[in-house]
Amino acid sequence: MGYFDVPEIDYTRYSDRQLAAVPLAVLGVALLVLTGSFLLFGTPVQLGMDFAGGTELTVQTAESEGEIQEAFDEEPESVQSVASEENQYIVQFASTDQEALSEQAEENLQPDSDAAVIQQVSSTSASFGEQTQQTALLGIAVAFLGMSVLAFVLFRTFVPSIAIVVSAFSDIVIPLAFMSIVGIPLSLGTVAALLMLIGYSVDSDILLNNHVLRRGGDFYESTHRAMRTGVTMTVTSMMAMLVMGISAWIFGVELLSSIGIILFVGLAADLMNTYMLNLSLLRWYKFHGVAR
Amino acid sequence: MNPIAFIKEYWRILLLVLFVSAALVALFVPGGVMDDDTLVEEENESVDQGVTNLEYGLGLDGGTRISAPPVGMSADIQIEPEQEREVESTLQDELGVDAADAIVRYHEDDNRFTAEVFAEEVTAAEFAAALQEAGVDVDEGDVDNEVTQQTRDEIIQTIELRINEAGLSGGTAYQEATVGDGYYIVTEVPGMSPAELREMLTERGDVQIVAYYPEEDGNQTNETVLQGEEFANVGSASYNDQEGYHYVPVTVDDAEDGDGTSPAADYQEAMNEYGFTGEGVGQCAVHDRETGEFDFDPDAPQWCLLTEVDGEVVDAHSMSPDLGESMASGNWVNDPVFQMIVPTQQDAHNLAVNLQSGALTAPLDFEQEQTFSLEPALADQFKTYSLLIGVLSVLTVSGMVYLRYSDRRVAAPMILTALAEVVILLGFAALIRMPLDLSHVAGFIAVVGTGVDDLIIIADEVMDEGDVSSRRVFESRFRKAFWIIGAAAATTIIALSPLAVLSLGDLRGFAIITILGVLIGVLVTRPAYGDILQRLLTDK
Repeated sequence: MGYFDVPEIDYTRYSDRQLAAVPLAVLGVALLVLTGSFLLFGTPVQLGMDFAGGTELTVQTAESEGEIQEAFDEEPESVQSVASEENQYIVQFASTDQEALSEQAEENLQPDSDAAVIQQVSSTSASFGEQTQQTALLGIAVAFLGMSVLAFVLFRTFVPSIAIVVSAFSDIVIPLAFMSIVGIPLSLGTVAALLMLIGYSVDSDILLNNHVLRRGGDFYESTHRAMRTGVTMTVTSMMAMLVMGISAWIFGVELLSSIGIILFVGLAADLMNTYMLNLSLLRWYKFHGVAR
Repeated sequence: MNPIAFIKEYWRILLLVLFVSAALVALFVPGGVMDDDTLVEEENESVDQGVTNLEYGLGLDGGTRISAPPVGMSADIQIEPEQEREVESTLQDELGVDAADAIVRYHEDDNRFTAEVFAEEVTAAEFAAALQEAGVDVDEGDVDNEVTQQTRDEIIQTIELRINEAGLSGGTAYQEATVGDGYYIVTEVPGMSPAELREMLTERGDVQIVAYYPEEDGNQTNETVLQGEEFANVGSASYNDQEGYHYVPVTVDDAEDGDGTSPAADYQEAMNEYGFTGEGVGQCAVHDRETGEFDFDPDAPQWCLLTEVDGEVVDAHSMSPDLGESMASGNWVNDPVFQMIVPTQQDAHNLAVNLQSGALTAPLDFEQEQTFSLEPALADQFKTYSLLIGVLSVLTVSGMVYLRYSDRRVAAPMILTALAEVVILLGFAALIRMPLDLSHVAGFIAVVGTGVDDLIIIADEVMDEGDVSSRRVFESRFRKAFWIIGAAAATTIIALSPLAVLSLGDLRGFAIITILGVLIGVLVTRPAYGDILQRLLTDK
């Protein structure tokens, strides 16, 4: 069946401890990275303009990147060319004086044919960013809490429910650590991706729990069936997100590219968490936990 | 098969067909289903309508958005109705602010009074102290660091008037709550640059007529004789051909107020008392029309009427003999009309806008602003790109599904169903005229993602354990699959609902589209896919 099929893994070869150790170790490392970053820079993940404040200009100009660097009184934080458009650059500043920066751009940059020099401006003051930050934190907290409550309502037993909550937590923390290491700043787009992850990742956990707990039959048989569906699902979504992330990056559409990349990483983490962490907890529950 | 049995058997598919066709109508029939513009105030779409009825937001159409909180604070106070003015003037004196910057409001619906101050330099402690000075029992803790809802409503109204008067359609102003119970005023205008919009929002628009005249000791003095709300009727910017000047015709309010006289009568009296209608007629030379400069250190006594906007002198005029005569005789008040003359057409236009829209009740604090602006050309690129990215993502999903099942009977309806979901959503967006932004595009892609996930669950579940032999077997397997899908949908909705409610700018659209998509998926399209699959697999 099919050109790509989900391989059957012989879970009997590994103990619960062995299975859980890998995802827990990765989670530990991720938490360590975030704590380290917090101690060093004051935030677990580099905050993007949406949260820290700053100005971003998209300029279209005949001049080179080096000349763009020189064109402003304040040195830009970064100058990045847009892959799909010649002569288009995204320039970021820590300053929030959008008006002065726009003026400098219009004065000092040579227009490219008859297109306007400034194609896009977005500027956020630090205090506005702080508000957004609090709102976003609240959003993530409420979403996570809601999801946890729902997991308990759906399965009404402690171990399977907590297994879902723990792996969803890890699904969020691992991409956060990834962002911290690779240097992707936290933006509204990435927050959306993290929330989406809560939704996506719970899908495969629910599927696994459902097959193992609510259906009769051998544990390994149920697991394999759940995996066949679940892995197909997750891999399909991962591919869609990867394509979206890469194509959006080429086109310079930041929001879509950050959502795509973060979801890709998060879903990969979800594969590991679901089929190692959640599975080991479930197996322990099924063979030891219930008997008690 | 009789029709009822037919509907019973295929109602899920029929429902899907119904939804898709309704969506297509909403999307492509010119004018759309709701050919009723009362929902949206100003429309110019008929001019530049595209192929679809979709509307685009700033992120895909270009324009500028500025969000900033109003400056000021308020406090609930307990006073008698007749104290209102007294408290207001005490606040002005104590805090040293303009008349427009300290107001007391009576809230009719819940019978209470509030005092507000709109000045950045005033602290909560000073505000409370000034209120105590006015005999109101308030301490610093009672001061709310926000202006009242009425003030925000007035600001929004004024901004919307200004946008309309600037001749720009499609602009809106609204308020957005933040976590710390603060509010931002958000203004969105397509076709305005950040600088232009900023200027429109910065201008307080407080228009005053100031009398500039010599007192008895010969020193020149300033006295505000007319301001904002005392103009009853404001015409549009006009031009006098014969004498060649720009002006705005205005009517002064002649309705009697509390003290038994009307603003028009007060104005007439002041003009007579200060000598404007007698010795002062035609005596104003402070404004050099050639250079546009003002000289407020004149040699001879001057009787000038200064037009001030936000405390800045725009123009200065003497009383014309005709007008002076009609005031001196006391007849002017019966038809209290005059022309406010300004140097340029632009000034006349600005003045008319300011007079008509009124002053912004409180200024906006641009220290805490957020600005976003996009050129229409780049917005067009974004439109194309989003379409491309969407198509690429759908192709990837299709490819993966085909690779996995290599059975066209399973894969083709799967992809078609997922696409139907997007079509229904787009139709819905067109129907309610939701302006689409990049974040909505992300939502559409997420919908395809979750949609296909669920369809995979259905397909696997139904085809589990060999072929589907009977309808009963199919139904029971389908129900099992549906439990998982429902649970998954519920988590997605819960995870995204905070975003749909909280004011996180771009993300609200994403969350709303994703939640709607999940709902449509679970209620309409995914059950229909089950039916299609059943038809194809049970070989009835």
